[in-house]
Amino acid sequence: MLYLELLLQGLIQGSMYAIIAVGLTLVYGLLRILHVAHAGLFALGGYVGLLIFNETGSLILAMPLAAALVGLVGMAVYRLCYQPILDRPPYVALIASIGLFIAMEELFRLIFGPYGLTYKNPPLQAYVNLFGIHIRAAELCMVGASITLLGVLSYLAQNTRIGVACRATVEDPEMAASFGIDAIKVRYLNFFIGSALAALAGIFVSLLSNLVEPTMGGVPSYKALAIIVLGGLGNVKGTLIASLVIGIVEAFGTIYIGNLLDRDAIAFAFLIIVLMIRPQGLFAEK
Amino acid sequence: MNEILLEVRNIIVRFGGITALNNVYFDVIKGEFLSIIGPNGAGKTTMLRAIIGVVKLLSPSRIFLADRDITDITVHERVRMGLAMTHQIVRPFKSMTVLENVVIAAGHKRTGNPFSAMFSFDRKSEIEKAMNLLDTVGLSDVAEQPVTGQPLGVLKRLEVARTLAVNPGLLLLDEPLAGLNHVEAKKMADTIVKINQNGLTIVMIEHNLAEVLRVSQRLIVLDNGFKIASGNPDAVLCDSKVRAAYMGKEKINAAA
Amino acid sequence: MGIYEISLGTIVCINIIFAMSLNMITGFCGQISLGHAAFYGVGAYCAGMLAKAGFPMYAALFAGMIFAGMTGLVVGLSSLRVREDFLAITTMGVNFLFLGIVRQQDFLGGELGVSSIPSHGMGKIGFLVFVMILACLVIAWSHMIKRSWMGFAFDAVADDEDIAQVLGIDVGRYKLVAFAIGTALAGLAGGLYAYFARFIVPDDFGFITSITVLSMVAVGGIGSIAGVVIGTLLLTLMPEMFRFISDYKLLIYGLLLFGVMRFAPEGLAGLIKSFVGFICKKRAAL
Repeated sequence: MLYLELLLQGLIQGSMYAIIAVGLTLVYGLLRILHVAHAGLFALGGYVGLLIFNETGSLILAMPLAAALVGLVGMAVYRLCYQPILDRPPYVALIASIGLFIAMEELFRLIFGPYGLTYKNPPLQAYVNLFGIHIRAAELCMVGASITLLGVLSYLAQNTRIGVACRATVEDPEMAASFGIDAIKVRYLNFFIGSALAALAGIFVSLLSNLVEPTMGGVPSYKALAIIVLGGLGNVKGTLIASLVIGIVEAFGTIYIGNLLDRDAIAFAFLIIVLMIRPQGLFAEK
Repeated sequence: MNEILLEVRNIIVRFGGITALNNVYFDVIKGEFLSIIGPNGAGKTTMLRAIIGVVKLLSPSRIFLADRDITDITVHERVRMGLAMTHQIVRPFKSMTVLENVVIAAGHKRTGNPFSAMFSFDRKSEIEKAMNLLDTVGLSDVAEQPVTGQPLGVLKRLEVARTLAVNPGLLLLDEPLAGLNHVEAKKMADTIVKINQNGLTIVMIEHNLAEVLRVSQRLIVLDNGFKIASGNPDAVLCDSKVRAAYMGKEKINAAA
Repeated sequence: MGIYEISLGTIVCINIIFAMSLNMITGFCGQISLGHAAFYGVGAYCAGMLAKAGFPMYAALFAGMIFAGMTGLVVGLSSLRVREDFLAITTMGVNFLFLGIVRQQDFLGGELGVSSIPSHGMGKIGFLVFVMILACLVIAWSHMIKRSWMGFAFDAVADDEDIAQVLGIDVGRYKLVAFAIGTALAGLAGGLYAYFARFIVPDDFGFITSITVLSMVAVGGIGSIAGVVIGTLLLTLMPEMFRFISDYKLLIYGLLLFGVMRFAPEGLAGLIKSFVGFICKKRAAL
């Protein structure tokens, strides 16, 4: 029973990582930059979602609206922050992104206060009995949403013109450009989708803890980087699997070796071991 | 006279499921000018990369340099033993000037050990040597300029000068004429012949058949990872297998 | 000079040694490290524990240096396996691993850290002079390396390691040397910090510290010795200068990082260089 419960815990955590990390890996595939400020957009999603919910009382309204707004912010981040420095060495965009993330966290703190905000009448808090294990409705919704969204996205990526263009550009930007694909449009679209997904993850996480706070992007900011590296940087399928793997490794690790290493250290120890054996990540591009 | 400098035996290289080189073998005689030709994708560049040591070989591949087995030796050690290679796509150190690009290569003795390199400052003799080499390839007037922004012709020559600076006994050239116009290509080929006449053994890959026939003493033809012919240039070009390989490819290309 | 100025001066000098140590790895040899605080921490813990065990200061500092350098050598080995962004995340992982291990070890004080580290016995001004001399020595050494053939080979490795190898440079060995020297110096800075603060906790050596020191290097101008010194001065003193608006100091910090990378990616050193170039051109035109 413990195994099953841990596995389920890991999958829940992993599906949260997955919706955050997908956007990050898309950005990496397109631009070869580690977009740390993605975690800032995740937190922004939490704030916007909570504010809309508290105003309207409707989660059905809050989620898509917050996702769309944060998606637009993501596009602006690309245009204003990354586009001008793309041909610089990679650390330039990385540090710029870190600076942006710090500034975002500080803005949240200054505007909404250091202690964060809570939901009025938080929704989806009921417990559901699943094979004898009690999990919260919000957790179930998060898993369901991430499976549905990623499923729909992968369907679109396989079966629509723009989807195919996106995949081609992520895999080989130069080749795609030579086939007449408008790389700029693809980049905007990717930033929109990736940021919108991060915003949804932010809303789910804030529902689980009934809290949005300025520092909520902290853990995803580095954990998601570890995941996309594990998945082979820029490889979407690899990233999804890596998210679940890290979720499960953490769930089991904290129980069995938690007295040796804390949660973050377990994830990174796993990552380092994998990289030493497979330097290109679990699922290398080539 | 026919002293064998490099001996390549049963070279097998695979990338994924594709066999890039299949049991290729040949000798390079000291002092000669050997060219490797073949259609695109024949495995020519892979062959050079295998000799310099940046490609993984499968057994029973073996490479001997002056009778010493170098199959398991690292790249920089091979370079120190007298192998050197230029790249088809030139990659100068972008943060340096033209001269510095050659000086760093000329200082390969000084950089051999990091710790003694830390206490070694004098660059005078290396700069002198680099200037001489730049003179040989006709670049002495751009020596002090930064590398970025130089035209391809200059960079191709720089690549050769930089490679010569490591004092090679055997020079591997990967398409040194590619991208140059007719006049530049001829000038470059003449420079290479001059280098060869100064005693350096040369193995060159090149698509410019006119220049290849003009300068090489011997040809090897690769196709689809196999060696299909070798010998003196005129005889090789009459070989029916060689004609078939080139014609066949052209037909396929024309069809596509 | 008041006590406040003395301790500010001491921390500036410690940070200069710390930033110079990262500059050795990232600036000179081109290997990005996002986990440099781990080695700072190794030095600090090692020196702190030995000091408490009754060892004299020089021995404790030296041991911290050696121990950090040895750890760095092991991490440097990973730079032979993984490159660029993969290396960045691996080193980040090392930082989390270090924290995770230290937090769970009772003999290292766990979360509470190491307190009541014995005094250096030099007096505050004496210690400031001592640290200042060490900082000058480190700067001089960096300068020497930059001018030597070793620095020249580092340039080549940082520029294009494949080509450096084909020109007969033992790339792996140079990377290991850079890691060993850089991390040993970080260990020295950490040891000095332990004697300065006399109380260390795991969070002093977290990911934020790694980012801070990377920022000092990048804002100053990666690879430039004078630039790194200026960057360190600026980023160490700036939070102090902005104390009167202390609530906004992190926001300003984040925006500064972002702004420098976005508008002057070569850092302040690059900015000054292009400014001087501009003046010279003006003069030449006249």
